[in-house]
Amino acid sequence: AQPAGSMETPEVPAATYERRVVRSGAEHHYLRVRLELPDGGARPSVAQFKQLVVSALRELHGEVGAALPVDVLTYEEKTLSAILRVISSGLVKLWSALTLLGFYQNRRCAFRVLQTSPFLLALSGNSRELVLD
Amino acid sequence: KFAVSRRYVLCEVVSEDPRCRQCIEDRAVGLAVRDAIGRVHGDYGLACCSISFTVKYLNAYTGTVLLRCRKDFYRLLCSALPFVRQLESRNQRYPCALRTLHVGGTIRTCQKFLIQYNRRQLLMLLQNCTNEEERRCIQKSLLSCSLTEEQPQSGDEEDDDGIE
Repeated sequence: AQPAGSMETPEVPAATYERRVVRSGAEHHYLRVRLELPDGGARPSVAQFKQLVVSALRELHGEVGAALPVDVLTYEEKTLSAILRVISSGLVKLWSALTLLGFYQNRRCAFRVLQTSPFLLALSGNSRELVLD
Repeated sequence: KFAVSRRYVLCEVVSEDPRCRQCIEDRAVGLAVRDAIGRVHGDYGLACCSISFTVKYLNAYTGTVLLRCRKDFYRLLCSALPFVRQLESRNQRYPCALRTLHVGGTIRTCQKFLIQYNRRQLLMLLQNCTNEEERRCIQKSLLSCSLTEEQPQSGDEEDDDGIE
């Protein structure tokens, strides 16, 4: 604290650098998910898969949830696994909606979330599926 | 040990159809609001807002409705009110809209606001009066409205912890 009335303190020069602290991290989160359909029926196409994700959000979180920007980046029909991208503020809504989804066209189903990360590169390797010789 | 914090939302039913007034009853309004919350915020929002949700006060003549919900979820309730489109009662439905007038922490603050609001509405009606008889009636009502100070009842009031 500067004592009042002191006229001899030199002026502090303006800072030459700027430090930014980002606590919120990336703006998108990526999830690798797999849809389990235990009955061996017809597999959904990529459009039907996205429709399923959006309808799960609509059931649990209403129109506000269904309007969440969710993208299906990749989809493999054979294994029913996909990589989803969602805005970071909507991660909790999306994950909870996928967890509580029970039915696809009156068939029992379940979503398994295999990996999640704010960086897409982190989804390329999965140490859980590593096979050690 | 911690008191349950609630928010009271004061709104007004606005309708072009004068028959809508007969639908303004607590069950019909409560159902319409909960249906709107369910559509906009889904099962999660409906469940959150339904904890201690109730229609606390209704006035069919002025269309004033006082809703109550938990303080943590009042934003879900307020954001769903514009999506109420119709009131249904006794197998009749009429289109309407809900205008939010005030959000308060206690019933008393909403009551104070409502009295001032009604007084302003009466003044506006006075300006738009067409004949002398109506004018005298309204002037009499204006001069007689006031807030009577009652002894505060325990369990009725909570601390007003400020609105964000």
